[in-house]
Amino acid sequence: MNVIYVGVGEYEVSKTPGEIVKTLALGSCVAVVILDPKNKLVGLLHVALPESSINKKRAMERPGMFADTGIPKLLDEIKKFGYDGKGGLIVKLAGGASIMDPNNTFNIGKRNVLAIRKILWRFRLGAIAEDVRGNISRSVSVDMNTGKVIVTSPGRGEWEL
Amino acid sequence: MSIIEQITQRIKEHPLPSMVAFEILKTIEDEDHSLKDVVKLVENDASLTSEVLKMANSAAYYRGQPVTTISRSVLLMGEMMVVGVAICVSTSIIYQMPLDGYESPEGELWDHSLRSAIACRELAKFTKGKVNPGLAFTAGLLHDIGKSIISEFLVGSTKEMTDLCASREAADYIEAERRAVGTDHCEVGYTLVQKWGLPEMLCLALRDHHHPSKTENQYKHLVYTVHLGDIISMLGGAGTGSDSLAYTVDNEYEQYLNIQKDELSLILLKVEEDFTELKETLMS
Repeated sequence: MNVIYVGVGEYEVSKTPGEIVKTLALGSCVAVVILDPKNKLVGLLHVALPESSINKKRAMERPGMFADTGIPKLLDEIKKFGYDGKGGLIVKLAGGASIMDPNNTFNIGKRNVLAIRKILWRFRLGAIAEDVRGNISRSVSVDMNTGKVIVTSPGRGEWEL
Repeated sequence: MSIIEQITQRIKEHPLPSMVAFEILKTIEDEDHSLKDVVKLVENDASLTSEVLKMANSAAYYRGQPVTTISRSVLLMGEMMVVGVAICVSTSIIYQMPLDGYESPEGELWDHSLRSAIACRELAKFTKGKVNPGLAFTAGLLHDIGKSIISEFLVGSTKEMTDLCASREAADYIEAERRAVGTDHCEVGYTLVQKWGLPEMLCLALRDHHHPSKTENQYKHLVYTVHLGDIISMLGGAGTGSDSLAYTVDNEYEQYLNIQKDELSLILLKVEEDFTELKETLMS
């Protein structure tokens, strides 16, 4: 089976049966999975940070790095692949983990999840399934044949989202 | 033979990396050393010479003119960064091994260590000059080397350890490792590099990187730097399998590093940017 790997700050859209779209080791990053069942499309974005204002140059080079620039880009890309803009998209989120942190300074994961929900809301979208936060690193894969979103974590096995 | 005895045996048998890194370290420790002493040691090692030149000509150090001599490279990068490169050259095989006890595939320990090293180098800039960035890089590179030894003894216990952490029965993965095999990757790494004769501050950076408040006062700036560098690497997604993020931040770091939330995010980005290039530089 052909596997398309999505790196940090990258996004990919597939409509090829038999393909797996996959992103590894999310840590505090979040995988935004958008499924378009009508057109049999899958988009996956690997977001690292919530706001592009922190480094606008980087956001120009790699918009997928940030929630506020990455999600619009992923939606544009999905349209290019055939999404008709008439709704019916299914959104799922995974990742956004944190280290145990009494002072909440290292809460990048939480901030990523909140920023992603906010941006999705702006596009009138909301996740129907989330496996976010906690202190575990996750990997995510989407099977183009079934549309199943599978989450794995070392030492914890795998489960469907 | 008990598990602890077997681990001790494994540490004894562990091959010594090329000694040039440690010879350079010893030379640097002598306050009366000269640049020539370091240059000579590098030039006596063909593969290190080539790696140092590659690094000096990489984007991180490039200043518009190609660097063709070792003396210029050492001046540009700093002596401690040369040690870091020497350690990379001599230990990359150890770091490439899969860590089965952590369900971590081949190469992940290397990626985690290199990303931690870059994060430590950047974090050193927030210690008000108390930590040399090259020293921080070297400590970041070495901090998890104990995993390469302890991993095989943790095979079969991985789920039990992750369950202990998930239920909070173990405070962190260090405690889970100790419950499984009677020691942990920090202690094993510490014993190993002590055997190699590394300076005390580097040894303690390995031993105390998850519990930096335990360390000697004079080394706390370095150890807290490694503590945070490791965390940034894990948050960026580059952990080493099952233990990733199963640790606690020691917020006393604020006494040793003057760093704000946004600056931590910028370091995360910097690590992401520099990692690919540095990995290619060192592996090409």
